[in-house]
Amino acid sequence: MKFLTASLLLSMPCWAQSPIKRGEDVFANSCATGYCHGVRGQSSGAPRLAGRGFNQAYIFNVVTRGIPGTGMASFATTLSRADLIAVVAYVATLNGVADPKTGSDDEAAASGPKLTGEAARGAELFKEAVRSFGRCSTCHEVGGFGISVAGPIAQVPASVAALKALATPNVKTGTMDGESMPVLVLSDRKQGTLFYDLTSAPPVQRNAQPGSVTFTDGSTWRHSSVIGAYNDAELDAILTYLREAVKP
Amino acid sequence: MLKLFTVSLLTISSALAQDAGATRADWPHYGGTQFSWRYSALDQINTTNVKALTPVWMFQTGDYAENLQTTPIVEAGVMYLITARARVFALDAATGREIWNYRYPEPPRGVPGFVGNRGLAIGDGKVFFGTKDNYMVALDQKTGRLLWRVNIDDARQCGCNITAAPLVVKDKVIVGGTGGDGAHRGYITAFFTKNGRLAWRWYVIPGPGEKGNETWQGDSWRFGGGAPWLTGSFDPALNLLYWGTGNAAADFYDAERVPAGADKSKDINLYTASVVALDADTGKLRWHYQEIHDDQWDWDSAYEVLLIDREIRGHMRQALVHMNKSGITSVLDRATGELLGVFSVPEVQTWISGITEDGKLVGRVEPELGKTKTVCPTAAGAKSWNSMAYSPRTGFLYVPVNELCEDLTPNNAAPQEGQNYMNGDFPMKLAPGRTTWSHVDAWDPVTGKRAWSMPYKYVLLASMLATAGDLVFTGNPEGEFYALDAKSGNKLWSYQTGAGHRGGSASYSVNGRQYIATSTGWHSSVVGGAALTLFPDQDWRLGSTLVVFALPEPSR
Repeated sequence: MKFLTASLLLSMPCWAQSPIKRGEDVFANSCATGYCHGVRGQSSGAPRLAGRGFNQAYIFNVVTRGIPGTGMASFATTLSRADLIAVVAYVATLNGVADPKTGSDDEAAASGPKLTGEAARGAELFKEAVRSFGRCSTCHEVGGFGISVAGPIAQVPASVAALKALATPNVKTGTMDGESMPVLVLSDRKQGTLFYDLTSAPPVQRNAQPGSVTFTDGSTWRHSSVIGAYNDAELDAILTYLREAVKP
Repeated sequence: MLKLFTVSLLTISSALAQDAGATRADWPHYGGTQFSWRYSALDQINTTNVKALTPVWMFQTGDYAENLQTTPIVEAGVMYLITARARVFALDAATGREIWNYRYPEPPRGVPGFVGNRGLAIGDGKVFFGTKDNYMVALDQKTGRLLWRVNIDDARQCGCNITAAPLVVKDKVIVGGTGGDGAHRGYITAFFTKNGRLAWRWYVIPGPGEKGNETWQGDSWRFGGGAPWLTGSFDPALNLLYWGTGNAAADFYDAERVPAGADKSKDINLYTASVVALDADTGKLRWHYQEIHDDQWDWDSAYEVLLIDREIRGHMRQALVHMNKSGITSVLDRATGELLGVFSVPEVQTWISGITEDGKLVGRVEPELGKTKTVCPTAAGAKSWNSMAYSPRTGFLYVPVNELCEDLTPNNAAPQEGQNYMNGDFPMKLAPGRTTWSHVDAWDPVTGKRAWSMPYKYVLLASMLATAGDLVFTGNPEGEFYALDAKSGNKLWSYQTGAGHRGGSASYSVNGRQYIATSTGWHSSVVGGAALTLFPDQDWRLGSTLVVFALPEPSR
């Protein structure tokens, strides 16, 4: 009972990242893609960036201004300031700069808690791609991964048994075109009604014409029926992960 | 008498196939029809009068984040367009007047992937498209109102998204995704058009216990790529869906994914680098044909599949034609997957010395870790992702072919889920001994012979359009949109649209008047970006404008 009332709020996606690690992620998503600079700046079509002897000021100039007449665009407006500084610092490390400046706003946010073995396994299970639409991240966003269908996790269940018995009062029964379905209502306004149809995974966000859908409290939908692809040991690891990940 | 009867039957069945492949007043699908010919049966504009062709309207999308890559869709006098950032427009196809527009919300910063969209689909009274943050979206076709959207995979984790046009088949909308060059496991997903619920998903790479998984080393299947990142075709008579699958990942380094002692003349890393036929109702694999066993060059068989019926060695065959980035083109029986013919289109080809009649690669030059080897053609493709066209009148395929080479150096970087997993450096250059970079070709898929070839000094990266007026339309990076004689390749007409061409064209009619529409705007990323480094002195202009042409109406 005490565990259940101890509400653990979800934190934001960038909860535990050093600026260099953040820069590495920005680089992977914005610079290493497709036919551009490749993994760790090893090149994948566009010029190699690793081991070129670039200093930090030069990298900053190129990233913010681009190189006119080439495929190198300016990232001054497409990246946030913090991401830009982080990626410049990361590319500097690829060029032998041991301790690049990371004077970004969120330097203080550096180095969060490291996940323990069981929690790390839980983090993996939470979003394991081989599980397709049967993984937790189909409906929950934690640690910067997953689709936030259910909204932030307010409470981490104390046990696997509690997780399986989880009450889901927000899930209602919607009726549309003569069909009843389990739903999560996002907004119900004069212009229309936005809700998630939970009939099957993945949930479908639907936008109904005003007055075309009616809702009643309660549903036959059960959280236990969508976590069936995990065994108890796996669910336990996931709960261990959530207890660490959602710490404020 | 009997003989005559047989001949006329053959003519009829051939005419039926031609009916299914050609568009008429409408241009209902990405590839024209679901046979993907990009061929219009309209012949009002023809070789005699094309010189009078003139612009009648244009539409500036206002989305200049990237170019306009879409192939316009037209139904009942209404045109549907999608821009790079998924802004969707319904336009009066005769005048360009806007009927409605819909703006997909900008995904949050940090969602990986390229900005770009190659087309939308219509069906069941809805407009369907994919997004950068990996949603399949349905709008009301009449009003542009959002009806449903469903997430396919978290783009931040898989490093994948949707740039291809979906394909509507009966009560389902079916789509492939990107990620073939990343540590990702590709798939095709089908949703019910009515409500967005999942109908089926087919993974390109079989999981443990499934047939084909044994063609992967250890756990490499989990990040083995194969993403089918373009649009497939559908044969309603066979109820089969045809799709090209992407290359295996890592692209240029196979030591982690190929089982020890694997025979490179047999299937490896299934079902990457293949053409697959899936049951359209269930997504179950019916047959496969792997074009490149152990693709180590990013030859990436993800391209369009043209369904054509032709007489081959004396028998009428239900065939399909498929090209991959190497320019090797397979002609298969589309009921069984049997190889009927194979040919290669680039003039400069160094990665093999040839290909046998039964599709075996001869003299493969394998990439080697830490060594730099010159490979021709390149990972940018002897043909890029833009589509070829097929005319049943000439029997020719119309193909833009690029003559580039790359200096390929593989590396052995370890995979990280959702991140680039190409493992190679491949700066590109003009093939040695050449002065021109590309050519538009006409190929006979039955004989595998080239009928004509028209050289062009730079690269060609726009889709082709063929018409019953015996014309072939396409555009170049300098902004020129032009018409060639389908029989000879002679240039009959051209128009400077003001920006480079990297999209698709379509033909349609409204109230008896034939129109030719083309997407314009050069682009700054991927191959367009690479081209910029090859031609630094060229001013190929970006943009995002649809330009529509017709013959002048007689003055009243």
